[in-house]
Amino acid sequence: MNYMIETSGLGKQYKGKYSVKNLNLKVRPGCVYGFLGPNGAGKSTTMKMLLGLVKPSQGDILLFEKELQENNRLELLKATGSLIESPSYYGHLSGRENLEIVQTLKQVPKKEIDEVLRIVRLEGQQKKKVREYSLGMKQRLGLAAALLGRPKLLLLDEPTNGLDPAGIQEMRELISELPGHYGMTVMVSSHLLGEIDQMATDVGIIDKGKMIYQGSLKKLHHRARGSIHIHVLNPGTAIRILEEQGEVCELNEGELVFEDRTEEQIAKLVAILAGNGAQITRVMECQKSLEDIFLKLTGKQVSL
Amino acid sequence: MWKEWKTEWIKVKYRGIGWMLLAFLALIVLWTLWVMGDIPKEQAADGFRMMFFQIPMMDTILMPAMIAMLASRLCDAEVKSSTMKLLCTMEEKGRLFDMKVLTGAFYLALFVAAETVFIFIQSKISSFTSPLDPAQLLYFIAQVYIVSLAILIFQVVLSFFFENQILPLAAGIFGSFVGLFSWFFRDGILKKCFLWGYYSELCFIRNVWDPDTRIVTYYDAPFDVLSFCLLLGLLAVGYGTGKVLFLRKEI
Repeated sequence: MNYMIETSGLGKQYKGKYSVKNLNLKVRPGCVYGFLGPNGAGKSTTMKMLLGLVKPSQGDILLFEKELQENNRLELLKATGSLIESPSYYGHLSGRENLEIVQTLKQVPKKEIDEVLRIVRLEGQQKKKVREYSLGMKQRLGLAAALLGRPKLLLLDEPTNGLDPAGIQEMRELISELPGHYGMTVMVSSHLLGEIDQMATDVGIIDKGKMIYQGSLKKLHHRARGSIHIHVLNPGTAIRILEEQGEVCELNEGELVFEDRTEEQIAKLVAILAGNGAQITRVMECQKSLEDIFLKLTGKQVSL
Repeated sequence: MWKEWKTEWIKVKYRGIGWMLLAFLALIVLWTLWVMGDIPKEQAADGFRMMFFQIPMMDTILMPAMIAMLASRLCDAEVKSSTMKLLCTMEEKGRLFDMKVLTGAFYLALFVAAETVFIFIQSKISSFTSPLDPAQLLYFIAQVYIVSLAILIFQVVLSFFFENQILPLAAGIFGSFVGLFSWFFRDGILKKCFLWGYYSELCFIRNVWDPDTRIVTYYDAPFDVLSFCLLLGLLAVGYGTGKVLFLRKEI
Protein backbone atom coordinates (compact mmCIF):
# COMPACT_ATOMS: atom_id res chain seq x y z
CA MET A 1 0.00 0.00 0.00
CA ASN A 2 1.46 3.37 -1.04
CA TYR A 3 -0.60 5.59 1.18
CA MET A 4 -2.97 5.02 4.10
CA ILE A 5 -4.60 8.36 3.37
CA GLU A 6 -4.56 10.11 0.06
CA THR A 7 -6.68 13.09 -0.83
CA SER A 8 -6.86 14.92 -4.10
CA GLY A 9 -8.24 18.41 -4.46
CA LEU A 10 -10.03 18.11 -1.14
CA GLY A 11 -11.97 21.22 -0.19
CA LYS A 12 -14.68 22.42 2.14
CA GLN A 13 -16.64 25.59 1.73
CA TYR A 14 -18.67 27.26 4.44
CA LYS A 15 -20.93 30.09 3.29
CA GLY A 16 -18.88 30.65 0.17
CA LYS A 17 -15.59 30.77 2.04
CA TYR A 18 -13.05 27.98 1.82
CA SER A 19 -12.07 26.42 5.10
CA VAL A 20 -9.96 23.83 3.30
CA LYS A 21 -8.89 24.24 -0.31
CA ASN A 22 -7.38 21.88 -2.84
CA LEU A 23 -5.68 19.70 -0.25
CA ASN A 24 -3.53 16.84 -1.49
CA LEU A 25 -2.67 14.86 1.57
CA LYS A 26 -0.43 11.81 1.47
CA VAL A 27 0.11 9.72 4.57
CA ARG A 28 2.52 6.81 4.26
CA PRO A 29 1.93 3.52 6.11
CA GLY A 30 3.72 3.22 9.44
CA CYS A 31 4.53 6.90 9.87
CA VAL A 32 3.53 9.46 12.46
CA TYR A 33 2.20 12.23 10.26
CA GLY A 34 2.22 15.58 12.00
CA PHE A 35 -0.48 17.85 10.67
CA LEU A 36 0.66 21.26 11.66
CA GLY A 37 -1.01 24.61 11.33
CA PRO A 38 -2.10 27.66 13.27
CA ASN A 39 -5.53 27.72 14.91
CA GLY A 40 -8.28 27.94 12.32
CA ALA A 41 -6.04 26.66 9.52
CA GLY A 42 -8.45 23.85 8.65
CA LYS A 43 -6.88 20.91 10.50
CA SER A 44 -10.01 19.76 12.33
CA THR A 45 -12.21 20.22 9.25
CA THR A 46 -9.78 18.09 7.25
CA MET A 47 -9.77 15.37 9.89
CA LYS A 48 -13.55 15.40 10.11
CA MET A 49 -13.72 15.05 6.33
CA LEU A 50 -11.34 12.07 6.52
CA LEU A 51 -13.75 10.45 8.99
CA GLY A 52 -16.81 11.30 6.92
CA LEU A 53 -18.19 13.53 9.66
CA VAL A 54 -18.14 16.54 7.35
CA LYS A 55 -19.04 16.24 3.70
CA PRO A 56 -16.33 17.66 1.42
CA SER A 57 -17.42 20.35 -1.02
CA GLN A 58 -14.93 18.99 -3.53
CA GLY A 59 -12.21 16.42 -4.03
CA ASP A 60 -11.73 12.77 -3.20
CA ILE A 61 -10.52 10.86 -0.19
CA LEU A 62 -8.82 7.50 -0.40
CA LEU A 63 -8.48 5.53 2.82
CA PHE A 64 -6.47 2.33 2.52
CA GLU A 65 -6.54 3.00 -1.24
CA LYS A 66 -10.33 2.81 -1.34
CA GLU A 67 -12.48 5.81 -2.06
CA LEU A 68 -14.35 6.99 1.01
CA GLN A 69 -18.04 7.17 0.21
CA GLU A 70 -21.21 7.25 2.26
CA ASN A 71 -21.96 3.59 1.56
CA ASN A 72 -18.53 2.25 2.59
CA ARG A 73 -17.64 4.85 5.24
CA LEU A 74 -18.28 2.71 8.30
CA GLU A 75 -16.63 -0.32 6.71
CA LEU A 76 -13.43 1.66 6.04
CA LEU A 77 -13.56 3.33 9.44
CA LYS A 78 -13.58 -0.07 11.15
CA ALA A 79 -9.82 -0.07 10.71
CA THR A 80 -9.56 3.51 11.98
CA GLY A 81 -9.47 5.00 15.44
CA SER A 82 -10.03 8.66 16.12
CA LEU A 83 -9.83 11.31 18.78
CA ILE A 84 -11.25 14.55 17.47
CA GLU A 85 -10.92 17.83 19.33
CA SER A 86 -11.97 17.56 22.99
CA PRO A 87 -12.20 14.10 24.54
CA SER A 88 -15.57 12.38 24.05
CA TYR A 89 -16.91 10.57 27.08
CA TYR A 90 -20.01 9.85 29.14
CA GLY A 91 -19.20 11.45 32.48
CA HIS A 92 -21.79 9.45 34.43
CA LEU A 93 -20.21 6.15 33.35
CA SER A 94 -16.93 4.62 34.44
CA GLY A 95 -13.93 4.50 32.15
CA ARG A 96 -14.54 0.83 31.51
CA GLU A 97 -18.22 1.36 30.70
CA ASN A 98 -17.26 4.09 28.25
CA LEU A 99 -14.95 1.65 26.54
CA GLU A 100 -17.69 -1.01 26.56
CA ILE A 101 -19.80 1.30 24.38
CA VAL A 102 -16.99 1.58 21.83
CA GLN A 103 -16.18 -2.13 22.11
CA THR A 104 -19.83 -3.04 21.44
CA LEU A 105 -20.08 -0.70 18.46
CA LYS A 106 -16.77 -1.87 17.01
CA GLN A 107 -17.70 -5.48 17.79
CA VAL A 108 -14.31 -6.40 19.17
CA PRO A 109 -13.64 -8.92 21.95
CA LYS A 110 -14.18 -7.64 25.49
CA LYS A 111 -10.65 -8.60 26.51
CA GLU A 112 -9.31 -5.81 24.30
CA ILE A 113 -10.64 -3.33 26.85
CA ASP A 114 -8.08 -4.59 29.37
CA GLU A 115 -5.36 -4.34 26.77
CA VAL A 116 -6.06 -0.73 25.79
CA LEU A 117 -6.47 0.25 29.43
CA ARG A 118 -3.01 -1.16 30.02
CA ILE A 119 -1.54 0.69 27.04
CA VAL A 120 -2.87 4.05 28.27
CA ARG A 121 -2.09 3.14 31.87
CA LEU A 122 -5.63 3.52 33.19
CA GLU A 123 -6.17 0.01 34.64
CA GLY A 124 -6.26 1.37 38.17
CA GLN A 125 -8.84 4.03 37.34
CA GLN A 126 -11.17 2.00 35.14
CA LYS A 127 -14.02 1.79 37.67
CA LYS A 128 -13.99 5.48 38.50
CA LYS A 129 -16.65 7.75 36.97
CA VAL A 130 -15.11 9.64 34.06
CA ARG A 131 -16.41 12.99 35.32
CA GLU A 132 -13.97 12.51 38.22
CA TYR A 133 -11.03 12.00 35.84
CA SER A 134 -8.44 14.70 35.24
CA LEU A 135 -8.21 16.10 31.72
CA GLY A 136 -5.11 14.03 31.07
CA MET A 137 -6.92 10.86 32.10
CA LYS A 138 -9.87 11.77 29.88
CA GLN A 139 -7.51 12.24 26.94
CA ARG A 140 -5.91 8.88 27.67
CA LEU A 141 -9.34 7.30 27.83
CA GLY A 142 -10.10 8.90 24.45
CA LEU A 143 -6.91 7.37 23.11
CA ALA A 144 -7.87 3.99 24.60
CA ALA A 145 -11.22 4.19 22.79
CA ALA A 146 -9.42 5.02 19.56
CA LEU A 147 -7.08 2.05 20.05
CA LEU A 148 -9.88 -0.48 20.52
CA GLY A 149 -10.03 -2.92 17.63
CA ARG A 150 -6.31 -2.41 16.89
CA PRO A 151 -6.90 0.07 14.06
CA LYS A 152 -4.43 0.36 11.24
CA LEU A 153 -4.87 4.11 11.17
CA LEU A 154 -5.25 6.54 14.03
CA LEU A 155 -6.45 10.12 13.59
CA LEU A 156 -5.72 12.32 16.58
CA ASP A 157 -6.76 15.93 16.56
CA GLU A 158 -4.79 18.06 19.02
CA PRO A 159 -4.55 15.23 21.57
CA THR A 160 -2.43 17.24 23.99
CA ASN A 161 -4.73 20.25 24.13
CA GLY A 162 -5.20 21.49 27.67
CA LEU A 163 -2.82 18.96 29.23
CA ASP A 164 -0.15 19.89 31.74
CA PRO A 165 3.53 19.36 30.75
CA ALA A 166 3.63 15.88 32.33
CA GLY A 167 0.43 14.89 30.52
CA ILE A 168 1.77 16.25 27.23
CA GLN A 169 4.96 14.26 27.64
CA GLU A 170 3.04 11.09 28.49
CA MET A 171 0.71 11.48 25.52
CA ARG A 172 3.65 12.15 23.19
CA GLU A 173 5.41 9.01 24.36
CA LEU A 174 2.26 6.95 23.88
CA ILE A 175 1.72 8.25 20.36
CA SER A 176 5.35 7.83 19.34
CA GLU A 177 5.30 4.20 20.49
CA LEU A 178 2.26 3.21 18.43
CA PRO A 179 3.79 2.66 14.98
CA GLY A 180 6.72 0.66 16.40
CA HIS A 181 4.78 -1.45 18.87
CA TYR A 182 1.47 -1.94 17.09
CA GLY A 183 2.21 -1.19 13.45
CA MET A 184 -0.23 1.68 13.35
CA THR A 185 -0.09 4.74 11.15
CA VAL A 186 -0.81 7.87 13.13
CA MET A 187 -1.96 11.23 11.86
CA VAL A 188 -1.74 13.78 14.62
CA SER A 189 -2.65 17.42 14.33
CA SER A 190 -1.26 20.22 16.42
CA HIS A 191 -0.59 23.92 16.35
CA LEU A 192 2.51 23.28 18.42
CA LEU A 193 5.58 23.02 16.27
CA GLY A 194 7.80 21.65 19.03
CA GLU A 195 5.30 18.88 19.67
CA ILE A 196 5.19 17.74 16.05
CA ASP A 197 8.97 17.95 15.93
CA GLN A 198 9.18 15.45 18.79
CA MET A 199 6.56 12.99 17.57
CA ALA A 200 6.32 13.02 13.82
CA THR A 201 8.30 11.40 11.06
CA ASP A 202 6.36 13.12 8.28
CA VAL A 203 4.82 16.53 8.37
CA GLY A 204 2.16 18.49 6.54
CA ILE A 205 1.86 22.21 7.17
CA ILE A 206 -1.49 23.78 6.47
CA ASP A 207 -2.36 27.44 6.55
CA LYS A 208 -5.62 29.15 5.58
CA GLY A 209 -6.87 25.80 4.32
CA LYS A 210 -3.97 25.24 1.94
CA MET A 211 -1.10 22.80 2.24
CA ILE A 212 2.10 24.79 2.19
CA TYR A 213 4.56 22.01 2.94
CA GLN A 214 4.38 18.24 2.91
CA GLY A 215 7.21 15.81 3.31
CA SER A 216 9.43 14.12 5.79
CA LEU A 217 10.44 15.96 8.91
CA LYS A 218 14.04 15.16 8.00
CA LYS A 219 13.69 17.16 4.79
CA LEU A 220 12.15 20.01 6.69
CA HIS A 221 15.08 19.94 9.06
CA HIS A 222 17.38 19.91 6.05
CA ARG A 223 15.69 23.11 4.90
CA ALA A 224 16.48 24.42 8.30
CA ARG A 225 20.22 24.12 7.59
CA GLY A 226 21.56 27.50 8.28
CA SER A 227 24.55 29.65 7.58
CA ILE A 228 28.24 29.25 8.43
CA HIS A 229 29.69 31.95 10.63
CA ILE A 230 33.48 32.36 10.75
CA HIS A 231 34.80 34.64 13.44
CA VAL A 232 38.13 36.26 12.65
CA LEU A 233 40.30 38.74 14.55
CA ASN A 234 41.16 40.64 11.35
CA PRO A 235 37.97 40.84 9.26
CA GLY A 236 39.41 43.41 6.82
CA THR A 237 42.20 41.00 5.82
CA ALA A 238 39.77 38.12 5.63
CA ILE A 239 37.42 40.02 3.31
CA ARG A 240 40.33 40.92 1.04
CA ILE A 241 41.45 37.27 0.86
CA LEU A 242 37.95 36.15 0.01
CA GLU A 243 37.51 38.83 -2.67
CA GLU A 244 40.76 37.67 -4.29
CA GLN A 245 39.29 34.14 -4.34
CA GLY A 246 36.01 35.37 -5.79
CA GLU A 247 34.05 34.29 -2.67
CA VAL A 248 30.97 36.22 -1.62
CA CYS A 249 30.14 36.64 2.06
CA GLU A 250 28.40 38.99 4.42
CA LEU A 251 30.18 40.71 7.30
CA ASN A 252 28.04 40.72 10.43
CA GLU A 253 29.44 41.98 13.74
CA GLY A 254 32.95 40.88 12.92
CA GLU A 255 31.82 37.51 11.58
CA LEU A 256 31.94 36.31 8.02
CA VAL A 257 28.59 34.79 7.12
CA PHE A 258 28.29 32.21 4.34
CA GLU A 259 24.99 30.71 3.11
CA ASP A 260 24.45 27.13 1.92
CA ARG A 261 27.92 25.61 1.87
CA THR A 262 28.84 21.98 1.73
CA GLU A 263 31.27 20.44 4.19
CA GLU A 264 34.00 20.43 1.52
CA GLN A 265 33.42 24.06 0.64
CA ILE A 266 33.67 25.03 4.31
CA ALA A 267 36.93 23.10 4.70
CA LYS A 268 38.35 24.84 1.63
CA LEU A 269 37.30 28.29 2.87
CA VAL A 270 38.90 27.75 6.25
CA ALA A 271 42.12 26.53 4.61
CA ILE A 272 42.31 29.56 2.30
CA LEU A 273 41.63 32.02 5.08
CA ALA A 274 44.05 30.46 7.51
CA GLY A 275 46.71 30.02 4.83
CA ASN A 276 46.59 33.69 3.88
CA GLY A 277 46.82 35.18 7.35
CA ALA A 278 43.23 35.48 8.57
CA GLN A 279 43.18 34.82 12.29
CA ILE A 280 40.25 32.44 12.74
CA THR A 281 38.94 31.96 16.28
CA ARG A 282 35.63 30.18 15.69
CA VAL A 283 33.68 28.40 12.94
CA MET A 284 29.99 27.95 13.71
CA GLU A 285 26.92 26.59 11.96
CA CYS A 286 23.83 28.63 12.82
CA GLN A 287 20.70 26.56 12.18
CA LYS A 288 17.38 28.13 11.30
CA SER A 289 14.82 26.95 13.75
CA LEU A 290 11.71 25.17 12.51
CA GLU A 291 9.87 28.18 13.76
CA ASP A 292 11.80 30.36 11.34
CA ILE A 293 10.81 28.05 8.51
CA PHE A 294 7.22 27.97 9.67
CA LEU A 295 7.20 31.74 9.86
CA LYS A 296 8.66 31.95 6.39
CA LEU A 297 6.05 29.53 5.07
CA THR A 298 2.99 30.91 6.84
CA GLY A 299 4.03 34.45 7.58
CA LYS A 300 2.65 34.22 11.09
CA GLN A 301 3.69 33.44 14.60
CA VAL A 302 3.35 29.88 15.86
CA SER A 303 3.39 28.42 19.34
CA LEU A 304 6.49 26.55 20.37
CA MET B 1 -28.97 -2.60 14.87
CA TRP B 2 -28.62 -4.84 17.93
CA LYS B 3 -25.21 -3.45 18.88
CA GLU B 4 -26.50 0.15 18.74
CA TRP B 5 -29.52 -0.84 20.83
CA LYS B 6 -27.24 -2.50 23.37
CA THR B 7 -25.07 0.61 23.72
CA GLU B 8 -28.12 2.78 24.42
CA TRP B 9 -28.78 0.66 27.51
CA ILE B 10 -25.20 1.11 28.69
CA LYS B 11 -25.58 4.88 28.23
CA VAL B 12 -28.77 5.14 30.31
CA LYS B 13 -27.17 3.41 33.30
CA TYR B 14 -27.29 5.50 36.50
CA ARG B 15 -29.51 8.08 34.79
CA GLY B 16 -32.41 7.28 37.13
CA ILE B 17 -34.92 7.15 34.28
CA GLY B 18 -36.82 4.26 35.86
CA TRP B 19 -37.17 6.16 39.15
CA MET B 20 -38.33 9.24 37.33
CA LEU B 21 -41.06 7.31 35.53
CA LEU B 22 -42.07 5.67 38.79
CA ALA B 23 -42.39 9.07 40.45
CA PHE B 24 -44.72 10.30 37.70
CA LEU B 25 -46.69 7.08 37.84
CA ALA B 26 -47.03 7.51 41.59
CA LEU B 27 -48.52 10.97 41.06
CA ILE B 28 -51.09 9.57 38.64
CA VAL B 29 -51.89 6.69 41.00
CA LEU B 30 -52.31 9.01 43.99
CA TRP B 31 -54.56 11.37 42.06
CA THR B 32 -56.70 8.52 40.76
CA LEU B 33 -56.92 6.87 44.17
CA TRP B 34 -58.11 10.19 45.61
CA VAL B 35 -60.67 10.72 42.85
CA MET B 36 -61.93 7.14 42.97
CA GLY B 37 -61.70 6.89 46.73
CA ASP B 38 -65.16 8.15 47.57
CA ILE B 39 -67.26 7.23 44.55
CA PRO B 40 -70.77 6.13 45.49
CA LYS B 41 -71.72 2.55 44.72
CA GLU B 42 -74.04 3.57 41.89
CA GLN B 43 -71.06 5.21 40.13
CA ALA B 44 -69.01 2.03 40.32
CA ALA B 45 -70.65 0.96 37.09
CA ASP B 46 -68.91 3.92 35.46
CA GLY B 47 -65.58 2.90 36.99
CA PHE B 48 -63.72 2.07 33.80
CA ARG B 49 -65.12 5.17 32.09
CA MET B 50 -63.85 7.27 34.97
CA MET B 51 -60.42 5.71 34.67
CA PHE B 52 -60.30 6.22 30.89
CA PHE B 53 -61.14 9.86 31.51
CA GLN B 54 -59.02 10.62 34.58
CA ILE B 55 -55.80 9.00 33.42
CA PRO B 56 -55.56 10.79 30.05
CA MET B 57 -56.36 14.01 31.88
CA MET B 58 -53.49 13.44 34.30
CA ASP B 59 -51.32 12.34 31.40
CA THR B 60 -52.05 15.66 29.70
CA ILE B 61 -50.64 17.52 32.68
CA LEU B 62 -47.74 15.25 33.56
CA MET B 63 -46.61 13.47 30.41
CA PRO B 64 -45.27 16.49 28.46
CA ALA B 65 -42.96 17.41 31.35
CA MET B 66 -42.06 13.77 31.95
CA ILE B 67 -41.32 13.13 28.27
CA ALA B 68 -39.20 16.31 28.10
CA MET B 69 -37.15 14.98 31.02
CA LEU B 70 -36.95 11.53 29.47
CA ALA B 71 -35.76 12.89 26.10
CA SER B 72 -33.29 15.15 27.83
CA ARG B 73 -31.83 12.28 29.83
CA LEU B 74 -31.54 10.17 26.70
CA CYS B 75 -29.88 12.83 24.57
CA ASP B 76 -28.01 15.27 26.78
CA ALA B 77 -25.09 12.91 27.27
CA GLU B 78 -24.31 13.11 23.55
CA VAL B 79 -24.85 16.84 23.45
CA LYS B 80 -22.84 17.75 26.55
CA SER B 81 -20.04 15.25 26.20
CA SER B 82 -19.56 15.74 22.45
CA THR B 83 -19.60 11.99 21.86
CA MET B 84 -21.46 12.44 18.57
CA LYS B 85 -18.25 12.75 16.57
CA LEU B 86 -16.95 9.54 18.09
CA LEU B 87 -20.22 7.61 17.73
CA CYS B 88 -20.71 8.71 14.14
CA THR B 89 -17.45 7.03 13.15
CA MET B 90 -18.91 3.73 14.35
CA GLU B 91 -22.62 3.95 13.63
CA GLU B 92 -24.86 5.67 11.10
CA LYS B 93 -25.93 9.09 12.28
CA GLY B 94 -29.55 8.38 11.46
CA ARG B 95 -29.36 5.13 13.41
CA LEU B 96 -28.38 7.08 16.52
CA PHE B 97 -31.52 9.19 16.19
CA ASP B 98 -33.63 6.06 15.70
CA MET B 99 -32.12 4.44 18.77
CA LYS B 100 -32.90 7.43 20.94
CA VAL B 101 -36.51 7.40 19.77
CA LEU B 102 -36.70 3.64 20.17
CA THR B 103 -35.29 3.70 23.71
CA GLY B 104 -37.71 6.46 24.67
CA ALA B 105 -40.55 4.55 23.02
CA PHE B 106 -39.63 1.50 25.06
CA TYR B 107 -39.79 3.47 28.31
CA LEU B 108 -43.13 4.97 27.26
CA ALA B 109 -44.47 1.50 26.46
CA LEU B 110 -43.51 0.41 29.99
CA PHE B 111 -45.21 3.48 31.42
CA VAL B 112 -48.45 2.94 29.49
CA ALA B 113 -48.35 -0.75 30.40
CA ALA B 114 -48.01 0.22 34.08
CA GLU B 115 -51.00 2.57 33.73
CA THR B 116 -53.00 -0.28 32.19
CA VAL B 117 -52.09 -2.61 35.03
CA PHE B 118 -53.11 0.10 37.46
CA ILE B 119 -56.54 0.33 35.80
CA PHE B 120 -57.05 -3.38 36.49
CA ILE B 121 -55.86 -3.04 40.08
CA GLN B 122 -58.11 -0.04 40.66
CA SER B 123 -61.08 -1.95 39.19
CA LYS B 124 -60.58 -4.56 41.92
CA ILE B 125 -60.03 -2.00 44.69
CA SER B 126 -63.16 -0.01 43.81
CA SER B 127 -65.14 -3.10 42.71
CA PHE B 128 -66.23 -1.76 39.33
CA THR B 129 -69.58 -3.34 38.51
CA SER B 130 -69.59 -2.99 34.74
CA PRO B 131 -67.25 -5.12 32.62
CA LEU B 132 -64.26 -3.72 30.78
CA ASP B 133 -64.80 -3.08 27.08
CA PRO B 134 -61.62 -4.46 25.39
CA ALA B 135 -62.03 -2.03 22.49
CA GLN B 136 -61.96 0.89 24.92
CA LEU B 137 -58.84 -0.48 26.54
CA LEU B 138 -57.15 -0.68 23.15
CA TYR B 139 -58.30 2.84 22.30
CA PHE B 140 -56.90 4.05 25.60
CA ILE B 141 -53.51 2.41 25.01
CA ALA B 142 -53.30 3.63 21.42
CA GLN B 143 -54.40 7.13 22.35
CA VAL B 144 -51.96 7.67 25.21
CA TYR B 145 -49.07 5.87 23.56
CA ILE B 146 -49.20 7.48 20.13
CA VAL B 147 -49.64 11.01 21.52
CA SER B 148 -46.74 10.45 23.91
CA LEU B 149 -44.59 9.04 21.11
CA ALA B 150 -45.21 12.09 18.93
CA ILE B 151 -44.27 14.37 21.84
CA LEU B 152 -41.17 12.25 22.47
CA ILE B 153 -39.93 12.74 18.90
CA PHE B 154 -40.46 16.49 19.23
CA GLN B 155 -38.56 16.55 22.51
CA VAL B 156 -35.71 14.36 21.22
CA VAL B 157 -35.15 16.83 18.37
CA LEU B 158 -35.18 19.76 20.82
CA SER B 159 -32.81 18.01 23.21
CA PHE B 160 -30.35 17.30 20.41
CA PHE B 161 -30.43 20.88 19.17
CA PHE B 162 -30.05 22.75 22.44
CA GLU B 163 -26.98 22.29 24.57
CA ASN B 164 -28.82 23.99 27.40
CA GLN B 165 -31.51 21.48 28.31
CA ILE B 166 -33.62 24.13 30.05
CA LEU B 167 -35.18 25.04 26.71
CA PRO B 168 -36.51 21.54 25.89
CA LEU B 169 -37.72 21.24 29.49
CA ALA B 170 -39.47 24.61 29.20
CA ALA B 171 -41.11 23.32 26.02
CA GLY B 172 -42.36 20.33 28.02
CA ILE B 173 -43.87 22.55 30.71
CA PHE B 174 -45.42 24.75 28.04
CA GLY B 175 -46.90 21.56 26.55
CA SER B 176 -48.41 20.64 29.90
CA PHE B 177 -50.21 23.99 30.07
CA VAL B 178 -51.39 23.83 26.48
CA GLY B 179 -52.57 20.26 27.05
CA LEU B 180 -54.43 21.22 30.18
CA PHE B 181 -56.16 24.15 28.51
CA SER B 182 -57.03 21.97 25.53
CA TRP B 183 -59.57 20.17 27.74
CA PHE B 184 -61.48 23.44 27.78
CA PHE B 185 -61.13 24.19 24.06
CA ARG B 186 -64.22 23.76 21.97
CA ASP B 187 -64.17 20.87 19.52
CA GLY B 188 -62.67 22.16 16.32
CA ILE B 189 -59.49 22.92 14.50
CA LEU B 190 -57.78 24.65 17.46
CA LYS B 191 -57.67 21.44 19.45
CA LYS B 192 -56.03 19.66 16.54
CA CYS B 193 -53.34 22.31 16.18
CA PHE B 194 -51.44 21.43 19.33
CA LEU B 195 -49.71 18.10 19.74
CA TRP B 196 -50.27 18.14 23.51
CA GLY B 197 -54.00 18.66 22.97
CA TYR B 198 -54.45 15.20 21.47
CA TYR B 199 -54.77 13.55 24.88
CA SER B 200 -58.07 15.39 25.26
CA GLU B 201 -58.93 15.37 21.56
CA LEU B 202 -58.77 11.58 21.43
CA CYS B 203 -60.43 10.95 24.76
CA PHE B 204 -63.46 8.78 24.04
CA ILE B 205 -65.18 9.42 27.37
CA ARG B 206 -67.20 12.56 27.96
CA ASN B 207 -68.94 13.71 31.09
CA VAL B 208 -71.81 15.84 32.21
CA TRP B 209 -71.83 17.54 35.57
CA ASP B 210 -75.12 18.29 37.21
CA PRO B 211 -74.58 21.29 39.51
CA ASP B 212 -77.77 20.54 41.47
CA THR B 213 -76.98 16.97 42.37
CA ARG B 214 -73.21 17.51 42.05
CA ILE B 215 -73.03 14.22 40.21
CA VAL B 216 -70.77 13.64 37.21
CA THR B 217 -72.12 11.24 34.64
CA TYR B 218 -69.67 9.65 32.24
CA TYR B 219 -70.68 8.44 28.80
CA ASP B 220 -69.01 6.97 25.73
CA ALA B 221 -68.18 9.13 22.76
CA PRO B 222 -67.27 7.70 19.37
CA PHE B 223 -63.56 7.16 18.87
CA ASP B 224 -62.27 10.04 16.76
CA VAL B 225 -60.72 8.15 13.85
CA LEU B 226 -60.06 11.31 11.86
CA SER B 227 -58.05 12.92 14.68
CA PHE B 228 -56.24 9.65 15.27
CA CYS B 229 -55.23 9.49 11.59
CA LEU B 230 -54.17 13.13 11.78
CA LEU B 231 -52.04 12.29 14.81
CA LEU B 232 -50.44 9.37 12.96
CA GLY B 233 -49.69 11.77 10.13
CA LEU B 234 -48.11 14.22 12.59
CA LEU B 235 -46.08 11.38 14.04
CA ALA B 236 -44.77 10.37 10.62
CA VAL B 237 -44.03 13.96 9.57
CA GLY B 238 -42.43 14.70 12.96
CA TYR B 239 -40.21 11.64 12.71
CA GLY B 240 -39.21 12.39 9.11
CA THR B 241 -38.53 16.07 9.76
CA GLY B 242 -36.71 15.36 13.02
CA LYS B 243 -34.47 12.82 11.37
CA VAL B 244 -33.65 15.07 8.42
CA LEU B 245 -32.83 17.94 10.79
CA PHE B 246 -30.68 15.62 12.87
CA LEU B 247 -28.83 14.32 9.80
CA ARG B 248 -28.17 17.88 8.64
CA LYS B 249 -26.84 18.91 12.03
CA GLU B 250 -23.14 19.67 11.76
CA ILE B 251 -20.98 17.63 14.11
